[in-house]
Formats: sequence, structure tokens, C-alpha cells
Amino acid sequence: MDQLSVSPETAESLKNLSQKDKQELNQFIQNEGQKAQIQATVHSLTDTCFRKCITSKISSGKLDRSEEPCMQNCVDRYMDANLTVIRHLEQMRHS
Amino acid sequence: MADAKTAIMDQKLNEHCFERCVPKPGSSLSSGESTCYTACMEKYMAAWNTVSRQYLGHVQKGVGSAGGGF
Repeated sequence: MDQLSVSPETAESLKNLSQKDKQELNQFIQNEGQKAQIQATVHSLTDTCFRKCITSKISSGKLDRSEEPCMQNCVDRYMDANLTVIRHLEQMRHS
Repeated sequence: MADAKTAIMDQKLNEHCFERCVPKPGSSLSSGESTCYTACMEKYMAAWNTVSRQYLGHVQKGVGSAGGGF
């Protein structure tokens, strides 16, 4: 694990946490990490899909009738493609 | 609050909207370009929300929970 840079006081009080509190803290940190990961993926997907789906002149702030489903399909197909990559990598590992 | 998110959003908004709304930079931002910028920013955030909803649906179904980000 990475070394946390905390003040000596914080380090001391962390040591004094009960086992239960330590577990809760650990869970909290894991959840936050997962949230950050999800948000990063949403950012990168929005970037990619905006490029692909919003191609006509931008005249309104809303997604129009073709753009909205395109964005949704873009996410769905990205997930399919991602799964294909994972399957392929697993196959390579086993052969 | 949410500084990292705002920073990335800011960068992405500018990247996309500058590309789309200011194809030929003049001596100042024209009113047409400003209008385009406003619409573009709103559209991008709408797109972000749609993607977020759609992607969270996948995560909750347990498909590709790792996300394949990075």
C-alpha cells in the first residue's frame, strides 16, 4: 500500500482506532476510490461519445432526438467492446 | 468541493466547445461564438448526465465493474 502523508498526530490517532473503526475507515476509502474510478470513466466516455454523436451544428443546449440515443448506444457498445477485449485477453492467457 | 471533477469538466468543455464554436479565432469572441459556447456547454453537461446514467446502469448490473478506465 501507498504510504500516506499525514501528520504525526493523525498517525497516532489512527493507531488508536478500534478494529471496527479501522474497518469502517477502510471501507470508506475503498468506496471513495471506486466513486473516483467511475467518475473518471464517465468523463472519458463523455469525451469519446460527444465526439462521435454530436456532429451537427450546435444550436441548442439540449441533446436532440438523435443525439440522446446515440450517447446511450455509445456507452452500451463501449461496454460490449470492453467485454470483448477482456475475453480476448483471457483467451490469450489460457492458450 | 468536487475540485477534481470541476477541473476536468472545465478542461473538457473548453476543448470541445472551442473546437466546435471557434473554428477561426478573430480579434474577439463574437456574439455568435458566445451563443454557441453557452449551448455547447449545456449540451456537453447533458451528455455527461446521460453517460453517467447509462454507465451506472451497467455498473449496477455488475457488468464490467472495473470500468476499464485508466
